[in-house]
Amino acid sequence: MAEAHPKFDVALVTPDGAVFDGEAQMVVVPGAAGEIGVLARHAPLVATLKAGSTRIHLDENEILEFATGPGFFKVELDRALALVDDAVNVKEIDDERARAQLEAAKAELERVDAGESTADRWQLEQRIKHAENQLAVSGRTTG
Amino acid sequence: MASVQDLKRRIQSVRNTRKITRAMELVAAAKLRRAEQRITALRPYAETMAELIAGVGRASSSVRLPLLEQRQAIETVALVPLTGDRGLAGAFNAQIMRRAFALERSLQVEGKTVRWVAVGKKGRSTLVFRRRDLVGEYLGFTDRPAYEDAQAIAHRVSELFTSGEVDRVTLIYNTYVSALTQRVTEQDVLPISPDILETDEEERATDALRGDFIFEPEPEEILRRLLPVYVETQIYRALLESTASEQGARMTAMRNASKNAGELIDTLTLRMNRARQAEITQEILEVVAGAEALT
Repeated sequence: MAEAHPKFDVALVTPDGAVFDGEAQMVVVPGAAGEIGVLARHAPLVATLKAGSTRIHLDENEILEFATGPGFFKVELDRALALVDDAVNVKEIDDERARAQLEAAKAELERVDAGESTADRWQLEQRIKHAENQLAVSGRTTG
Repeated sequence: MASVQDLKRRIQSVRNTRKITRAMELVAAAKLRRAEQRITALRPYAETMAELIAGVGRASSSVRLPLLEQRQAIETVALVPLTGDRGLAGAFNAQIMRRAFALERSLQVEGKTVRWVAVGKKGRSTLVFRRRDLVGEYLGFTDRPAYEDAQAIAHRVSELFTSGEVDRVTLIYNTYVSALTQRVTEQDVLPISPDILETDEEERATDALRGDFIFEPEPEEILRRLLPVYVETQIYRALLESTASEQGARMTAMRNASKNAGELIDTLTLRMNRARQAEITQEILEVVAGAEALT
């Protein structure tokens, strides 16, 4: 590529603070109806996101990838903002931990089904989804 | 009068207590700092969320979503007091429960029914002790609430609201003003106030500059997904505020306890020295009296 893509502001924000806030060439987010890729000077956009993988292309060689939970995406005036309920950098995914989370949540869900526990079913399903998501993303990058 | 030995033992015991209260004060101060940071960290998310809702709300043609439904007759109200899992925080938990029960009384006078959702072990045990029926309980995380905890609570109260089991959901919690001050606050989280969909003239102007947004899917559909997340965010903020307040209250309570212990040690030491002096004087008198008797 002769000329580099122009950069624009990208932010990935969770309730526990911004996971990424800086300049990038492109950002790809898991839209509810399919992946959405956004470059600089994209038209204003508002979209919903499902749990999946969010990729921020800093330049041709450097790509940051995050396992993200469900959320929302907004593009305005050369600024893209992804609001998600959780985001983990794929390089920092702890497989063991994610697997343990998954096991714990599944076991709890079985107890709920058996009427032995009063834990919140919906919360458990969310935990399972997020754990599976982390495992899926890390599995794809390592294998 | 207590003997020197007794006083010595008591002083030692008060000293040990002071060590504990001092340590707890330091721990609370560290946790308070962390809680404050988390409130700050949430701000960009919450603000963007509010902007997004206003923007999408403007774009939606008709907004008739269940979470926005303002019911004509409020018959049942869910009260959600946010308390701590542990005590030793001064009047922190008691204040919340006192306000909650006062609210319950005034609602019952108006002929409304009250349902309870307990958050925090302290609140739960008070409610169980007073034989209130709980429609939900969330325990064991008030030291460090996670977003998932807020999601669980939000999901439960939204369910209660949309199923028509309750017509209003009110949070009672301490808002964090400073380490020394916490304010007990009542906040209606459901139904969602239609105000959040409205924007002022200034925002409308900047919005026009940005041109029309592409919505994917339809704005109404996005709003349908945004509103539950808005409730989660509101509850998460309340949980964080409550945690910061709890640590602030504990820090103050422990500081006072350490101070009291210091004063107690001073008084006891004085008393011990007096007792020892009296003992010595007594002994001298006895020796002198004995010597006199011999001559």
